[in-house]
Amino acid sequence: MIKEHHPHAKTIEVRQSPGKSFLYALPMMLLTLVMMSGGKIPADPQRIFVFAVTYLFFNLLFFLMIHTGKTDRYRATAFITYAILFIISFISHMFEARGSMSLSQEKIILCEVPFCHLVIPMTLIPAAFTKTIIFPGSITGGFASIASMFTIWIGASLSMGRGWCSWGCFFGGLDDAFSRILKRPLLRKIDPRWTYLPWAVLLSVILSAAAFLSPTYCTWLCPFKTVTEFEAVTSFKILVQTIIFVSLFIALVIVLPLLTKRRIQCSLFCPFGAMQGLTNRINAFDVRIDPDICINCKRCVAACPTLSATEESIRAGRPLMSCMKCGTCVDVCPNGAASFHVRGTPVAGNRNIKRLLFLYTAFLFLATFSGGTIQDGLLRIIRLITTGSMI
Amino acid sequence: MRGFLLGLSSGAVCAAYCTPVLVPYLLGEGRDVLQNFSALMQFLLGRLMGYLSFAVFAWGIHTSLPQDITQRNLIIGSTYLILSGLLIFYSFFKTGRACPSAGGHGIDHRLHDSRPSLLLLAMGLATGLNFCPPFLLAVATAAEQTSLLQSLLFFLTFFLGTSVFLIPVPFLGLLRGFSPLHLIGKMAAGLIGAYYLFIGATMLSGGLYR
Repeated sequence: MIKEHHPHAKTIEVRQSPGKSFLYALPMMLLTLVMMSGGKIPADPQRIFVFAVTYLFFNLLFFLMIHTGKTDRYRATAFITYAILFIISFISHMFEARGSMSLSQEKIILCEVPFCHLVIPMTLIPAAFTKTIIFPGSITGGFASIASMFTIWIGASLSMGRGWCSWGCFFGGLDDAFSRILKRPLLRKIDPRWTYLPWAVLLSVILSAAAFLSPTYCTWLCPFKTVTEFEAVTSFKILVQTIIFVSLFIALVIVLPLLTKRRIQCSLFCPFGAMQGLTNRINAFDVRIDPDICINCKRCVAACPTLSATEESIRAGRPLMSCMKCGTCVDVCPNGAASFHVRGTPVAGNRNIKRLLFLYTAFLFLATFSGGTIQDGLLRIIRLITTGSMI
Repeated sequence: MRGFLLGLSSGAVCAAYCTPVLVPYLLGEGRDVLQNFSALMQFLLGRLMGYLSFAVFAWGIHTSLPQDITQRNLIIGSTYLILSGLLIFYSFFKTGRACPSAGGHGIDHRLHDSRPSLLLLAMGLATGLNFCPPFLLAVATAAEQTSLLQSLLFFLTFFLGTSVFLIPVPFLGLLRGFSPLHLIGKMAAGLIGAYYLFIGATMLSGGLYR
């Protein structure tokens, strides 16, 4: 039974002493040093500087996570930084390689298009039936190869499930950032039926990709093409496609997250995210809500940026399958009812140990996966300041 | 026999072209397997009508396809626009299905419930006239037939061969207990309808512009 709402409930304190926090953070310091350096410290002073900044940035955030007992605000700091620096790094690479962000037909024919995880759902059925990946990228080698992205995705799915969308996706930080700008939402009511839209988008793109053997989401809908790469406008059709994806970017990544304080693109549109929700069922970590200590204050429902906490889901003791494990509900829960949980263990007890186990996994993945990109992005900024050009 | 084998050999592609129309509809309706089979029959009847009308056309002109790319774009673009209109209509305007408890009645009730739907027939007809790759192969072969009967028989057997691949689709009815799928199916129909609208409009504008 869920207890009655307690109007004066305060968020439970789960702070650790600085010494204890340092001890808990020590393994992460060693692991990130190994993973981010790849075993060798760069020789170039600029590279040493950005490596040190990135290393300290991540480990300070991790220390603060342990020390304050809060997850989301420090995760978001790293996640948003990653998204911004990813864009800087990616666009710089595109200008270096092609001279512009636009993609020519020649590059498509030569299969030199970087592969991103959002394409994965569309490739599965055609790959099963035709043994072909319907994307003009390189299978191995080159920049962002198909094999490397599949490997990373499988690893992330097994370790974090849909936690990928809050700890790994290099686009997610954008709508996460815009959803945090206003203090209060201007649009409060979102019909819960919209949460099924990503599944409809997923179904549509899977079926149309199988029919036309083309990654239809990338071609027509992906809003993130606006800040990465897009096909050069050479026909009416490409013009229509450009108008669509730019409009979707403005609406789903900027305006609606700003107005609603929710991650609208990630939770109400992204087909990859919908598919990733299925992997939430097959990995070790999830978020649980202990009905014995829940006071039914509904703070988690109000705060969840992905609309994954509902009254029904609280009654069921866990958020919906769409939960991205961002930690918001865990942070705002005044009674400690919401917590990270390791499957197969009792919900009650050892709350901090379970949280630590999840954080080691998710944060190490974030630091390792994003470390190189963040360093490259920082280098580009330093280059811009010192030489006037990012490339 | 040749038509049937051609249908069998290329039917997977044919199914890939038909499922974006059929699957959202069946999910959106949330019927059981038997009712879905009945719906599939209506869809296939429409597709057969499309095939047979093209058989007459192919025999009549004794050529594989309209040679002019403008004409071809006009025909394909038009079928996409029709499909788009039907899917968007289904997604946004067709509401109110039979009482869910109808499933508990006898087979006759359930069949009665899934009475012939003009929408499904029209969807089948439009996909039947869509120039998917297997269909182009069939048209090319049918153009070699010397009599109308041969042409019709060829398309009929081709139709039977390709239809085999759609047999698993009605088993989506096994998922009907998961109620959000009805909404997801309807939303997907709208999205695919919008996608066909863009394809159709660009093809048509390209065709008219030339």
